[in-house]
Amino acid sequence: MAAPLWVGALLILLAFLVIYPLLMLFFGAISDSNPVIDGFGKFNPSLTHFIAVLGNENVHLAFFNALVACGGGTILAVVIGLAFSWIVVRTNTPFKGFIAGASMIPLFVPPLVAGVAWSILGSPKTGLLNTALKWMGIDFRFDFYSMSGLILVFGFYYAPYVYMFTASALRNMDPSLEEASEVSGASAFTTIFTITFPLIAPAILAGSLLSFVVMLGIYGVPAALGAPANISVLTTYIFKLTAWAPPLYNTAAAVAILLMFVTAILVWAQQKVLSGKSFATVAGKAFRPRSLNLGPWRWFTFGLALIYLFIVVVLPTIALVIAGFRRFLFFKDFGALFDMKAYSWVHFNSIFDNPLTMTSIWNTMKVGVITALVGGALAFAIGYTVNRTQVGGRRSIDLLSTIPVAIPGLVVGVAYLWAWIGLPGGLYGTIWILALAFVARFIPDTVKALSTSFMQIHKELEEAAWVCGRGLLGTIWTVMLPLARPGIVASMTLLFVLAVRELGSSLFLYTSDTTVMAVLLLDYYEGGNIGKTAAFSLVQTVILAVLLGFTTWLSRGAAEGTARAG
Amino acid sequence: MTSALLIQDLVKRFSTGKPAVDGVSFDVPAGEIVVLLGPSGCGKTTTLRCVAGLEHPTGGRISIGGRTVSELQRGVLVSPRERDIGMVFQSYAVWPHMTVRQNVAYPLKHRRNGGGGDIDTKVKETLELVGLGEYADRSATLLSGGQMQRVALARSLVYRPQLLLLDEPLSNLDAKLRIRLRDELRRILKATGMTGLYVTHDQAEAVVLGDRIGVMREGKLLQMAPPGEIYNRPADSFVANFTGASNVLLGKVLERKGERATIDLGQAGRIEAWTPQPLSAGDRARVALRAENIRLGERGPANSFTGRVVERRYQGMQTVYDVEFGGQKLEVLELGTAARHSDGEVAMHLPPDTCWAYRDEGQAAVD
Repeated sequence: MAAPLWVGALLILLAFLVIYPLLMLFFGAISDSNPVIDGFGKFNPSLTHFIAVLGNENVHLAFFNALVACGGGTILAVVIGLAFSWIVVRTNTPFKGFIAGASMIPLFVPPLVAGVAWSILGSPKTGLLNTALKWMGIDFRFDFYSMSGLILVFGFYYAPYVYMFTASALRNMDPSLEEASEVSGASAFTTIFTITFPLIAPAILAGSLLSFVVMLGIYGVPAALGAPANISVLTTYIFKLTAWAPPLYNTAAAVAILLMFVTAILVWAQQKVLSGKSFATVAGKAFRPRSLNLGPWRWFTFGLALIYLFIVVVLPTIALVIAGFRRFLFFKDFGALFDMKAYSWVHFNSIFDNPLTMTSIWNTMKVGVITALVGGALAFAIGYTVNRTQVGGRRSIDLLSTIPVAIPGLVVGVAYLWAWIGLPGGLYGTIWILALAFVARFIPDTVKALSTSFMQIHKELEEAAWVCGRGLLGTIWTVMLPLARPGIVASMTLLFVLAVRELGSSLFLYTSDTTVMAVLLLDYYEGGNIGKTAAFSLVQTVILAVLLGFTTWLSRGAAEGTARAG
Repeated sequence: MTSALLIQDLVKRFSTGKPAVDGVSFDVPAGEIVVLLGPSGCGKTTTLRCVAGLEHPTGGRISIGGRTVSELQRGVLVSPRERDIGMVFQSYAVWPHMTVRQNVAYPLKHRRNGGGGDIDTKVKETLELVGLGEYADRSATLLSGGQMQRVALARSLVYRPQLLLLDEPLSNLDAKLRIRLRDELRRILKATGMTGLYVTHDQAEAVVLGDRIGVMREGKLLQMAPPGEIYNRPADSFVANFTGASNVLLGKVLERKGERATIDLGQAGRIEAWTPQPLSAGDRARVALRAENIRLGERGPANSFTGRVVERRYQGMQTVYDVEFGGQKLEVLELGTAARHSDGEVAMHLPPDTCWAYRDEGQAAVD
């Protein structure tokens, strides 16, 4: 009797978190009533509005821009990611471990911070790179406020998504497949293009689809680099619609559905590719790691890796530090760069004089903790029910909790806006709406991470406890929780970090009392004060780095604690 | 006649541990198949991969068809693609994104010196040879293990390389198929007149396929000889043990005349044995015996003893007896569906030619 009640409760909870906001989003897209003015009473469903939106030229332009930016970015990401996975897995390039680790750093950089840093570096007039070029007497100027700037930043920062897939495919590939080609008389070049790349084609495709989907849902980079040049992509266009006076919530909902539709198709295609037969793995003996001796060329590949790190990590950091600490971002000559009198804490003082800054940091922490606790508990309940029990209805739970995979953060934001803005006295305006939106958005990742750690715990460990006379809850408490603790801590940590850096869904859900760091940073940027923006970017980066370090230490501690106990 | 393959003092040292190959020398005349046999980790596969050029030797010389392809001292190192060799990998390494025909045609298309001629005809002929004529257009992912093995073989034969290297090509197949393909492999190799170097840990494969067998252990080549000699005249106690002479009698050398030695087994008496090693009187010796070479219920001119059957294990086509003999234990195998001896005393003949005496260097030298 307890089982149906439990399943029912989970289903209702998921429906509340996922289905209800989505339904409201659909409703918004096909009606012309304004939820703020008209409340919930007035339904005017008709498809004309939705069709009109799809026919709108601005929508077409935003859609086209998004495809070009993400498409170009994906191509660049594939080139970089593929090159890196080959360098790390298949060559004797020095310090490979360092390269492999460092090349994942871009994943932790919040998109808006990357965008801000590159606007400081590459803005056509005052960009630091252009200032440097002027000193050197070179006529060339960078312009990152452009489609190509967008593509470059996308490609460089989302290459790790491609890398993750291709590196593991290369690692799992039987090296004799390549050796056979060499012995057959083919050159190294021929081997790479006729054997290696075709064999890992599924991984390349899966990685590029994923990076495309991620780019498609990113708000921070196009907001920082596209907006100054009037280049709208779907995400920035949707936000622009809600910032209109009066806000065009219905149009935003319709465009959000378009974005979600494209994302869903790509995610579906990616899952299809991943579940297809993988060429690369072959059963049999463990492979000897095969690494190509590059001779002196290994310093060239090492140099490439350094250049990449310089571009994605070092340069942006330098830019943020200079802009954050200098009173003015004007240099009369090269020497001025080292004029210590020009540096001060003035921007930091000014952002901390603003009471919103501390509020946003405090709110971010609260939202992060609530998201981690609620999301972690929910993911545990879902993961356990789906993976460890035979109760009826667990398939539906699985399905419902997977749906958000195909919903970009920004669309979650719009959906939650529609779901709650018209309800007086509801969640809108509290930090709970942010936390719940994050829980809904990240539930698939959390459940997946937890399920992996469940799978490592043998079913018989639980059965042994049942046989000893423990009930289901007692068994979960005394066996599952302690054994899965590292996995639980890791997933909650992940949730916390994701929530802290999330921007897309916060955009539509904050009020001045519930603003969070990412939103406030956007405010500073759009306010036009580069010094304050850079200073707050640094504050946010340092907080993120400290949190990451702390949580890594926490989950490592949890893992060791279990190892000792076991 | 020049050797198709000549290896001199080959050494391969990885960054850690003992050298994987430690001073191996042998040659393979054209048209002959040499099998390297040994337990895993003995250096046989590393030797093969050095010949292929997939590993780079740290010492010694390798020449293929009279051309030096690897000699560190002179700075010679020819890449695998320039060595004119074919190789069948343990995992077959059949490319799953191609059809059977594309796999086999690949070397012809990408070799610098494709050898001319019509690719289609060559591929067709080779597929016929390995019995896959009808599978040419099948995707490689739809093949069984045995078929993949044949595709790999066809792919390495199609361009008629000077030397064919085979790295445990049958070890991923089930037992029945392995035996069938083993016999067929020898037929195909002999039909093409191919020179081959074949690596395996399976004695039965080595005996059927090899014109000569080289037994390796810990990076050293212990003995290189035709199969009959490996089985009847093992050069040392490891070769004897590895090829199945699992009975050991411990004793002391009394005297030695030529290759004959007389050994004192203590309680059990004296035994005449063949020995390849220069043993002298007083040396501790190990006498190795194959279970199937011991004759129960028979007497001969020399080495006739009385033992006691303590256990009998009937196995249908053969019977295995545990025989106690002067405080030592022997395992005896008799073919036939009848178990002829029962527990108790039994006459026993150990033909001197089948008793092989080696210097006793402890059990560790055998394992």
